[in-house]
Amino acid sequence: MVIALRGVSIGYGSRAIVEAIDLDVRRGEILFIGGGSGCGKTTLLASMNTLRPPLAGSITIDGIEIAGAGEDTLQQVRRRFGMMYQLGALFGGMTLLENVRLPLEEFTRMPRAAMDDLARAKLGLVGLAAHADKKPAEISGGMQKRAAIARALALDPPIIFLDEPSAGLDPVTSADLDALIVALNRMLGATFVVISHELASIFAIGHRFAMLDGARRRLVALGPPAELRDHSDDPWVRRFLSRTASGEG
Amino acid sequence: MSGAAAPTIPGEMRADITTSVNGGALTVSIGGALVLDTVGGVHEALEAPLARGPRAIRLELAKVTRLDASGVSVAVGLHRFAKSMGIPLEIAGVEGDRKLLVDLALRGQDPATPPRPIGFTREVGQAAAGIWELLVDLLRFAGEVTVIALQIVRRPALLRLRDTLAAMARHGTDAVPVVGLLGFLIGAIIAFQTYDPMAKYGAKLQVADVVAVSIVRELGPLITAIILAGRSGSAFAAEIGTMKVTQELDALRTFGIDPVRFLVIPRMLATVIVTPMLAVYASALGVLGGFTVLGPKGITFTQYLVEVRDVLTVGGFLQGLAKAAVFALLVSAIGCLAGMRTGQGPGAVGLSTTRAVVAGIVAIIVADSILGSFFYTLGI
Repeated sequence: MVIALRGVSIGYGSRAIVEAIDLDVRRGEILFIGGGSGCGKTTLLASMNTLRPPLAGSITIDGIEIAGAGEDTLQQVRRRFGMMYQLGALFGGMTLLENVRLPLEEFTRMPRAAMDDLARAKLGLVGLAAHADKKPAEISGGMQKRAAIARALALDPPIIFLDEPSAGLDPVTSADLDALIVALNRMLGATFVVISHELASIFAIGHRFAMLDGARRRLVALGPPAELRDHSDDPWVRRFLSRTASGEG
Repeated sequence: MSGAAAPTIPGEMRADITTSVNGGALTVSIGGALVLDTVGGVHEALEAPLARGPRAIRLELAKVTRLDASGVSVAVGLHRFAKSMGIPLEIAGVEGDRKLLVDLALRGQDPATPPRPIGFTREVGQAAAGIWELLVDLLRFAGEVTVIALQIVRRPALLRLRDTLAAMARHGTDAVPVVGLLGFLIGAIIAFQTYDPMAKYGAKLQVADVVAVSIVRELGPLITAIILAGRSGSAFAAEIGTMKVTQELDALRTFGIDPVRFLVIPRMLATVIVTPMLAVYASALGVLGGFTVLGPKGITFTQYLVEVRDVLTVGGFLQGLAKAAVFALLVSAIGCLAGMRTGQGPGAVGLSTTRAVVAGIVAIIVADSILGSFFYTLGI
């Protein structure tokens, strides 16, 4: 596996939101992580991407322990993944091209023209080549998200974390994004860990789905989305994946 | 037909490039790994053949064993070059997902064109348009504030009293320590600097006159207003600017609440009320500061106060109050207007804050010189 979590507890201060998470992310899979609002999805992602140490347990990325690791180790691990934040988190003072080029300037040695072509290629992949010279404030929220994905792809990391990539996108753009994730996953073998509520995307491209439950404070399901929806022992998981209201079924 | 040696891009990953020219058509054949680690070298290897100005380009990728999302940038670079030169580009040897990746990357790519230089005329025009826009905004803002102020005079219930009191506490009470400290020190500095020249003419006691007149008429209101510009003008711009960026101003408007009445009037009214008070406080401490220098020189506190009382006139005192009120009006209006004119993006709020402080201080100094001349002409 590429990422392994063992007995991980996540939360704020000493208050755990979810405890004792055991989860293996397999190399080359598209894993969706979901659950009700406030169940700790984004916090779990923040622990996996080294920003927030877990309250307890072990997290390894490519066999390197990141829970409690020093800054040097974390820097080494950070080169192995790209991250797209929920609101894009693009640098507002830079154009989209400059946003995508920034990691290349910091971590590679290649001619400026090559970096520009590379950044334009990444923007082309997310359908934003024509907007390369615009600043984030000049484009829509959905476009900002796509630009953030292009930036996450800048260094072709083997692992890509996406936090709510489809939220706020129109269905066509959302489907395009799904196709892009599948293409990158198939072609490059990139592993995708995606936080999302979008059932259409989860069923269309997700290899597995991990579900957190804030009320029970644990990981309640892990498996292929359709199988969980149809055969999970847990009624909450079945309801979640079949989009059934609380009072129904 | 001419062919070029096949450079190999070193590193853990290898890319082999062969270029050949046949009748002006350039064929670029790439084999091996076309990935992030090798793409820079490929780009460099293509510079010379492209500089010769080919009439057509064919990119062969059939021998590529590994292609990542960075590797397709070679196709993007050639595509933009071909578009800018108006020559055909053929990409061969990509199928399935690779073709999808290349096609996606090429979507919407413009030809490579140098940025259009901005001429002098264009810059002057843009600057003039910016100034015109500012003047229109200023007039509109002044009009809105005046209309709403008149509405409030007719119907006082329209005033958000609680917000006004909170602003008075934040921008008045909280400023007391810093205004007092600066007033005290300025008074002491004036006494310190003028004591020796005045003493030469035996006019030691008249140092109190200099301190009292300069502090009460001029420096008390001035330093209070400058502190106001730094503390409150910037805060108004940042608060209202952030609200604009986060669409809170739009939310107010959609509720039918005028942001000028809701946000601007309480802040302006609060500063216009508290600034003259702060100026009086700063002046009093400035006069006291002057005594801390003169006291050790043998002048008693009673002598000092009598001298101050004799030199200060009601007109001079009111002049200081009027200046403070005008400065407060300018600083608060400029701060609020800067906030309302905030643009988009993370740098916008910072820019508005800077504008509020700089424009506020400039307005204070300009207004001070105009008011100074006015009062001098009136003989006050």
